Amino acid sequence: MLKVAVDAVPGVRRVMLNGELDMETVSLLHEVVREGDEDTLELDLSGLSFVDSTGLKGLLDINNNWQQKGGQVLILHPQPDVAEVMRLVGLDRLLAQNGALAGEER
Amino acid sequence: MRRCLECAKKEPDCPCLECKYFIQQGPLRRVPSPPIRILLEDEQGKQYPADILALNTTEFGLQTEAPVPGRYVIKLQESLWVEVAGVPFKGKNNVHVFDILCVHRRQGTASRLNNEEYQLLIGSNGELVAEISRHLPEHLQDLVREKLLAELEKSELISALRVGKVLKYEGGRFRYLSGQADLDLPMEEAEKLMRQATRHAEHRREVIISANGQKVFDLHGVPFDHRSGGLLAFDVTEVIEKERKIHRQEMEAYREAISAVTGGRLHLVNGEEAKRLLSEGVEIAKGEARQAHDIPEARRALRGSLPGIDSRRQHAIALCFSEALTNALKHAGGGCWQVIRAGDAVRIIVQDRGPGIKTSELARATLMQHYSTKNSMGCGFTLMLYYADYLYLNTGPSGTTLALDFGNVLTDKLNIEKTD
Repeated sequence: MLKVAVDAVPGVRRVMLNGELDMETVSLLHEVVREGDEDTLELDLSGLSFVDSTGLKGLLDINNNWQQKGGQVLILHPQPDVAEVMRLVGLDRLLAQNGALAGEER
Repeated sequence: MRRCLECAKKEPDCPCLECKYFIQQGPLRRVPSPPIRILLEDEQGKQYPADILALNTTEFGLQTEAPVPGRYVIKLQESLWVEVAGVPFKGKNNVHVFDILCVHRRQGTASRLNNEEYQLLIGSNGELVAEISRHLPEHLQDLVREKLLAELEKSELISALRVGKVLKYEGGRFRYLSGQADLDLPMEEAEKLMRQATRHAEHRREVIISANGQKVFDLHGVPFDHRSGGLLAFDVTEVIEKERKIHRQEMEAYREAISAVTGGRLHLVNGEEAKRLLSEGVEIAKGEARQAHDIPEARRALRGSLPGIDSRRQHAIALCFSEALTNALKHAGGGCWQVIRAGDAVRIIVQDRGPGIKTSELARATLMQHYSTKNSMGCGFTLMLYYADYLYLNTGPSGTTLALDFGNVLTDKLNIEKTD
């Protein structure tokens, strides 16, 4: 189960993820972030209790898509379990290059 | 080419034409009937007619006036010619043995006839192809012959075959043409193949296992017209058996390598060992995953069955479970799962009936990060290797079983070496 709340600030699309990101829910996230002309996508993971490799692949694709059209993605506040999984597959490195994982240290 | 040990040692590049220490290649066998008329051409361009009375892949038995010893060229086809040297003894009635020194083909040279060339001369394929093209307009015959021979060569098993049989098919009946007469073919299958080949007017190939499961045949149907054609049948049982043996050896090598590089944590197991994995411990939950929605449901069921295990560990187990189920769903359209508990230890098992992981992909699929045959990040196995203490994988064409242990389940019975 994944609940997604979108909060539009000028220039920034803020998306709050609540629940679990996996094969079942990843398409919902894709839907929510697809259209839009904002420069920055903020993904707030503080409510995300679970992510697996399929969910991570979704995050990676979203990041690549936004970069391709000149935008940036910030991934914020992952819970410890989720942050660990991201680190294990090297995704923290990938996203940290854009300062996207800035939220983890807070 | 026949070489004697002495000459080979002294002059490795020089054939021993007049040496009495010939190494015997085995008897000259397969007598073409009627003898095939060819021309021997010497270095000065002088030509001598000759008949091929017998041959094997390294020698010809020729009846000819051509003087021996001596070197000659035999042109068999436009793109196939053979250099031979006459052996100056054992001759009677102008019959001499000629060693094949070099076979020139369009694709390169060799020191012996390959199987297709041999078959061409002894009659089975060649006769069939000639038969097939006989009724065609003259200007098309060579073209069609060449095409058909090329088609035959495509069969990768053909060069390894031991025995073959050639039949002519006409209006639902078979007539024996050449080859091993006592080869017991699955005629029902053969007829089906020929019907298809003649109906669609194209070469058809099928590998058929005999009804008793003892023999494997490689069948080729070549249409002549809408109701007749040629059937080439090869007994490839031994070839298949050899392939299976190589596969077993490969699996054994992978098994050792994968176990070694994972510090003894990932084990490839055979079917029997996989069965034993299912029988250990106490089953506390089970279910099936047929669609994406079943995966979070299964995770919830798993967590519910693991009270008293701290949340970090529960998360690790749930994550690996999710990866295993996702793999089964993506690659096999679904699978069934079980959770087994033995004291503090937990084993989860996911089984599917998919096509299995190919041996050639096994190491990459299981060990390399970011590798996947389906479009996914492919780090599922990386995560499972990180979080699970032991992984057992059984995979084959009838499905894949993956068992993940968290803590020590009763695996001593498995007879697999453990590092701790």
